[in-house]
Amino acid sequence: MIELRNVSLRYGAREILKNVSLTIEDKKVKAILGPSGVGKSTIIKLMLGLIKPTSGQVLVDDVDITHFSEVELFPIRQKMGIVFQGNALFDSMTITENMSFFLRENLNLPEEEIEARVKEQMKFAGLEGFENNLPDSLSGGMRKRVAIGRALIFHPTMILFDEPTAGLDPVSSKKILDLIKRLQSEIGLGAVIVTHILQDVFAVADSVAVLYQGKIIFNDAPQKLYDSTHSFITSFLSNPED
Amino acid sequence: MWKLAQAYSASLEEKVKEIAFSMQDFLFFSLRAFRALGASKRYWRDVLDQAYICGTESLPILMVSALSIGSLIVIEVGHQLAEFGAKTMTGRSVALSVVREISPLVAGIMLAARVGARNSSELGAMQISEQIDALRAFGTDPIAKLVVPRLVASFLMFVPLIALCDIVGLISGAYLAEWDLHLDRGIYWNSVVDILRPMDWLVGFSKPPVFAIGISLISCYTGFSTTGGTAGVGKSTIKGIVYSSAFVLVMNFYLSKVILDFMRG
Ligand SMILES: Nc1ncnc2c1ncn2[C@@H]1O[C@H](COP(=O)(O)OP(=O)(O)OP(=O)(O)O)[C@@H](O)[C@H]1O
Ligand SMILES: [Mg+2]
Repeated sequence: MIELRNVSLRYGAREILKNVSLTIEDKKVKAILGPSGVGKSTIIKLMLGLIKPTSGQVLVDDVDITHFSEVELFPIRQKMGIVFQGNALFDSMTITENMSFFLRENLNLPEEEIEARVKEQMKFAGLEGFENNLPDSLSGGMRKRVAIGRALIFHPTMILFDEPTAGLDPVSSKKILDLIKRLQSEIGLGAVIVTHILQDVFAVADSVAVLYQGKIIFNDAPQKLYDSTHSFITSFLSNPED
Repeated sequence: MWKLAQAYSASLEEKVKEIAFSMQDFLFFSLRAFRALGASKRYWRDVLDQAYICGTESLPILMVSALSIGSLIVIEVGHQLAEFGAKTMTGRSVALSVVREISPLVAGIMLAARVGARNSSELGAMQISEQIDALRAFGTDPIAKLVVPRLVASFLMFVPLIALCDIVGLISGAYLAEWDLHLDRGIYWNSVVDILRPMDWLVGFSKPPVFAIGISLISCYTGFSTTGGTAGVGKSTIKGIVYSSAFVLVMNFYLSKVILDFMRG
């Protein structure tokens, strides 16, 4: 479970998040919907302790990680995989090296175990045959799946997606969304999906929070969005390309 | 008018605050790098890679610089000396200025440009593509993995590189003195060997390790603090080069001054 309690964040004079409170349940898919530049990536990074809030608290499984050091954060972060907006793959490493890098770095696993885990992820992501390719030589959808494999390889209990379908064609988008659904139903993996695309929310989310001008203006089941009278939500529903 | 002055002083204050903040941030960054130095054992492969890159990429430009340094001093100083009938002293002045000052200085600036630009652009690109966040998110200290190998590699490579510059500078001086001043190379080398004391080597070789630390930390820091997309990478690359070169210029002076003052009592 991840919990933000009255979290505010400012960059210089600009207040990006204002008193945001949000709870993310295990084994559920939570979407955070918001327009471009509203602070969606920021929220995800706060959950991992990659940035610190100006005020408020971040709790993971009831542990307050707000003031944790990098070393203290490591076991916390291992519970959560993250898929970055632009994948953040290491461009000088092959696909398998990208997937196994952090295993080798952080866990003292025998070589067979590492290979087995990489194989498992390659298969799950449908990337067999591309083991020795560099990320640059793959399509956008495949790169995304590599990034997902890299996040899953630690066997996390929660996975955080920063705009998983942005920039992908409809077919690749659907593949990624199916994958997220499958992860939830097959291994009970909880997920946070940050997105500005309405279809993503309806496709996978159990519940959705809408972030607008630094505040959570809605937090409920996706279908309830239609009942909302908030002007941003009504205009977003009628014109989702904004 | 008053309003303008007020606005100006307010923005000046902002600027000063910003600089003070960056200085403090840089200091913390450097401390973390020194504390993580032990990681060079763990990332020895990266150290070797970086040392190889540093050596092979910098060598050509350093050799060209060294050739022109030696020749230039002969043309400038040798001719002056020749006017006083003292051209046999040419080797002395070439030796002193090459070993103590010009070779470390020019090589230092070239390395600031070559190595500094590489560090800040590469790490800057990694920063904006969130690769540095990814390292942290999955439990690897990016300073240990990315900064320490670059720091250690430069530290190991700068002394031999600058030593090579000294040698090439002296040799080019010898040939130019023979060709331009008709000075026998034996006489040239005798005066070179005669004048150089351990202190001169000490002054010369105290510089590359200091340059290595300064250039690596400054350029890695500017890379790490990149924001603002592709244009941001360009900006931090420029910053990396400018601040590293300024560091080299200032430290070159201070090291010479302090060590020479100290040795002379
Ligand atoms: N290091 C920083 N310094 C200053 N401002 C920043 C910094 N990082 C982000 N911002 C600003 O904070 C705001 C939120 O950024 P964030 O990346 O979280 O937005 P986002 O919702 O993910 O946007 P996008 O749709 O572009 O991914 C943006 O307006 C951005 O300009
Ligand atoms: Mg974003």
